[in-house]
Amino acid sequence: MIPDAALGLPGGVDPGSHVRRALAGRRTRAGEPAYMALRWAGAGLFGALVIALLVSIAGGSGQALVHSGIGFLWSATWNPAAGQYGAGILVVGTLLTTAVAMVIVVPIGLGTAAFLSELAPSWLAAPLSTLIGLLAAVPSIVVGLWGLIVLTPIFANQVEPFLASMPVLGWLFRGEAYGPSILLASVVLAVMTLPTMVALSRTALAAVPVADREAALALGATRWQAVRRAVIPAARSGIQAAVTLAVGRAMGESIAVAMVIGNRPAIPASLTAPGATLGSAIVNQFAEASPGIGTSSVIALGFVLLILTVAVNAGGQALLRRGHGTAVSTAGALR
Amino acid sequence: MITLTSVRGWNGGGRRRTALAALGLIGVVAACGTTSTPTATRSASAAASSCASNTVLSATCDVVTPSAVTLSGAGANSIEPFFETVFYQYSQKNPNTTINYSPAGSSVGVTDIQQATVAFGDSEIPMTSAQLAAATGGTILQIPVDLGGVAISYNVPGAPANLKLDGPTLAGIFDGTITNWDSPQIASVSGVSNLPNLAIKPVHRADASGPGYDLDQYLIDTAPAWVSAIGTSTPSRTWPLATVGIGEQLNTGVATYVSQTGGSVGYVEYGYALQNGFVNAALLDAAGAYVAPTEASIALAGAQATSLSPTNFNVVNEAGSGTYPLANFSWTLVYQKQSKTTTGIALGKLLDWVVTTGQQDAAALGYAPLPANVASLAQTTIRELESSAGTPLFTS
Amino acid sequence: MSAVLAPRRRELIRAAAERSLTRRRLTGRIAQGLCAVAAVAAVAPLVTLLYYTISRGAGALSWGFLVNAPTPPTISGGGISTAIVGSAEIVGLALVLAIPTSLLAALFLFERSGRLAAALRFSADVLTGVPSIIIGISAYTLLVLPLRQFGNLAAAFALAVLMLPIMIRADEEAMRTIALDLWEAGIALGARRGRVARSVVLRGALPDLVTGNLLAIARAVGETAPLLFTLATPLAAMTLLIYTDGTQAFPVAQQTAWGTALVLLGFVLLLSVAAKIAAWRISQRAR
Repeated sequence: MIPDAALGLPGGVDPGSHVRRALAGRRTRAGEPAYMALRWAGAGLFGALVIALLVSIAGGSGQALVHSGIGFLWSATWNPAAGQYGAGILVVGTLLTTAVAMVIVVPIGLGTAAFLSELAPSWLAAPLSTLIGLLAAVPSIVVGLWGLIVLTPIFANQVEPFLASMPVLGWLFRGEAYGPSILLASVVLAVMTLPTMVALSRTALAAVPVADREAALALGATRWQAVRRAVIPAARSGIQAAVTLAVGRAMGESIAVAMVIGNRPAIPASLTAPGATLGSAIVNQFAEASPGIGTSSVIALGFVLLILTVAVNAGGQALLRRGHGTAVSTAGALR
Repeated sequence: MITLTSVRGWNGGGRRRTALAALGLIGVVAACGTTSTPTATRSASAAASSCASNTVLSATCDVVTPSAVTLSGAGANSIEPFFETVFYQYSQKNPNTTINYSPAGSSVGVTDIQQATVAFGDSEIPMTSAQLAAATGGTILQIPVDLGGVAISYNVPGAPANLKLDGPTLAGIFDGTITNWDSPQIASVSGVSNLPNLAIKPVHRADASGPGYDLDQYLIDTAPAWVSAIGTSTPSRTWPLATVGIGEQLNTGVATYVSQTGGSVGYVEYGYALQNGFVNAALLDAAGAYVAPTEASIALAGAQATSLSPTNFNVVNEAGSGTYPLANFSWTLVYQKQSKTTTGIALGKLLDWVVTTGQQDAAALGYAPLPANVASLAQTTIRELESSAGTPLFTS
Repeated sequence: MSAVLAPRRRELIRAAAERSLTRRRLTGRIAQGLCAVAAVAAVAPLVTLLYYTISRGAGALSWGFLVNAPTPPTISGGGISTAIVGSAEIVGLALVLAIPTSLLAALFLFERSGRLAAALRFSADVLTGVPSIIIGISAYTLLVLPLRQFGNLAAAFALAVLMLPIMIRADEEAMRTIALDLWEAGIALGARRGRVARSVVLRGALPDLVTGNLLAIARAVGETAPLLFTLATPLAAMTLLIYTDGTQAFPVAQQTAWGTALVLLGFVLLLSVAAKIAAWRISQRAR
């Protein structure tokens, strides 16, 4: 019941007359232009900021793109000392670290979400979910620092030699074990994006109507079969949204990656070789690039990164919109 | 701008303490003026009055500035251990001046001073004429403020301290041709034949750096194989062979990697090697002896710079016995024309203090005090600071 | 053919069904076990990280740590007061810019339909994923260079741009979920739009608005990259301090870094708890 005061109506007056007045006279709608103006201001300011962002990045890259042409995107040499600027290796590094990170994050994240949402006893699920939610609040710099100080020696001395010695898969991990590598960077990215994946997937799974589960069980499915065949497919669009967000975050991470990837601008020979990504190159080079072509090339790297992340995000959003049957709030666990 | 940093901005404790200190200072000056013998009174008040004119640079006047000023600087990571201690001490003596320094790297210092986004920059290598031409605020003064060295630090269990290495061997390590510590070349040069069978893991600076420039210069001077590997004989701040080994950010990143990884070898500013307790190589100098980095050997290298100037700044691989081959001066960059006189005065006094009184702490931190001729060059250059009208800020 | 199956066939079918059930149960148990393993694999590194942070940073925490100004590592008695104040200032400034803008823009998207609204909504969705380093570069180009100055303003601008898309979408979602019917009712009764927006929509969706905005704020507080390009000194923000002190050789500096990490975590936790309580209180009162 909306009280009269909320509607701007003084108490004890015939509402009909006010409605008539509201519809007819302009006086009761006084103040409306102010509100409309405010609304336009808000939207306009947001729009202006978006445009400013795009213009500053595109404009800053202009000089480099003119100098190197479209070949900038795939040119394989990034050697600022020699005046050679090309983003190819860095794009490869970005995609590689993101892909390996997702190989780790998607199964573990989905499995954890299924566990928390469907399979775990309730006394376990709630505190565990809260714990994972808390860990989503850890700043990425802390994860990066932990990777640098704690994980690097472990990877150099134990993990990487062990992986290289495995019979078949060892080929993926061959080569000198420095510690900082594509693999280590991927693991750090995985640790950073896991809470997001778990939280969003869990929301998606929980949003599946109970009736779906019960229908499957009624048809004779075991608990796991119900989850696998009824719940997960129904939550597919939400899970896709989770993966999209995780991928976007992994691609854009810069400082933490620069600390653990070894910063070698070459196509990595194996997963345990050092590499470089767009984000790490920007962190290392931006402040030190010579004004003019140097700085412009680094901003152009940012432009490439922007396009990549926008493409991934747009694709993910489109997928989400298509399957909007399940009410997943993307704002729910955005990190 | 920051990018990669270690932190220090000294504000002498905040506004309340500044006010109290100011009151205290007034009280002290007043007391000095009124008590004691006539000659003491005259010299004390003469000192106070000469400092009050703010045109005199001296040990006493350097810590007296007219008003509260914040000086923001950015630049070399290698000078950070020196700057942070010296700036802190200065701000303890002069609470009027707050100093922020961002040790993000020499190139950052150059870029920031070119854009005039900081009051002073610092670079291990003076600006080239092209860089000076790109400065937006006019002429830049380059002032040598400290003398430091670059250590080649290694982490090889069982290896002796001060392992002897020469240019060609170092070049082989950093271009990937020598891959193991027990290689015959290292054994023959160093005279140590029982080094362990451990893979060499070279680490370089992922960002542009002064130490990288110095090592590049040394290898160009002493190893023809290096020149052909990198394809040029001009040294560069950005490490030319980034495809060998791994790259870490700043001296702190390289130091962290060396301290935690067996078989690693990297180059760091000697001050950082000292902090970490690293074991450093003894390098072959131009006189044919193997010299380890110490304050004395770095000082000897600096003493060879009899005609130092921003265009003649190289002290790598100097002649003279006992000189450490990887030494260099650090250069503070300021605009000659200072748009705000109070900032200019505070800046001039700070820098004058740094190159005179501040040098007392250099040795303990891993640097060598400026040689006398360099200190006087610095002081002369500081006195070229002008107001926006073009009049010199300091008369003596 | 008879609808009732011969006994022999019935036996065969029952046996097959039992075998199938056993097999499916077994597969299910294995799969559930794997999911449990996944959960352990997910939680373990995160718990290790938390434990490491606490063990390395707890020793630094003290009242002095919070209120004293920083000192060089060789001189004791320093703290991180400038970083705490700096972070608070920057986030505060960013919120002053971001909250009104996001609320108004969300109302715009909520109340209007059409291509402009759709375009803005799409931009906001896509921009939630922009790497923070790009926002930092943009802030450097737009504010630091023309103004010739690093500082809190540019940093706050960068954080605001970071938070805005997230806040706008979260706000609009909250409004649509909670307040759509009420809004329509209010408008249908002839109330002014501004009035309806203020008293009905914002008030009704307040708990969800608070939660959604809170997530954006928590993320912004933990960001480092935008601050790299806009601040004059690492002492001006907690995340930068962690970054720079964390690799120093001095144990004191490292302990300061981890202690700052704990302060930051505590800060975000406090923020979450406070906002959730506030949201609950408000929703209680509105009932």
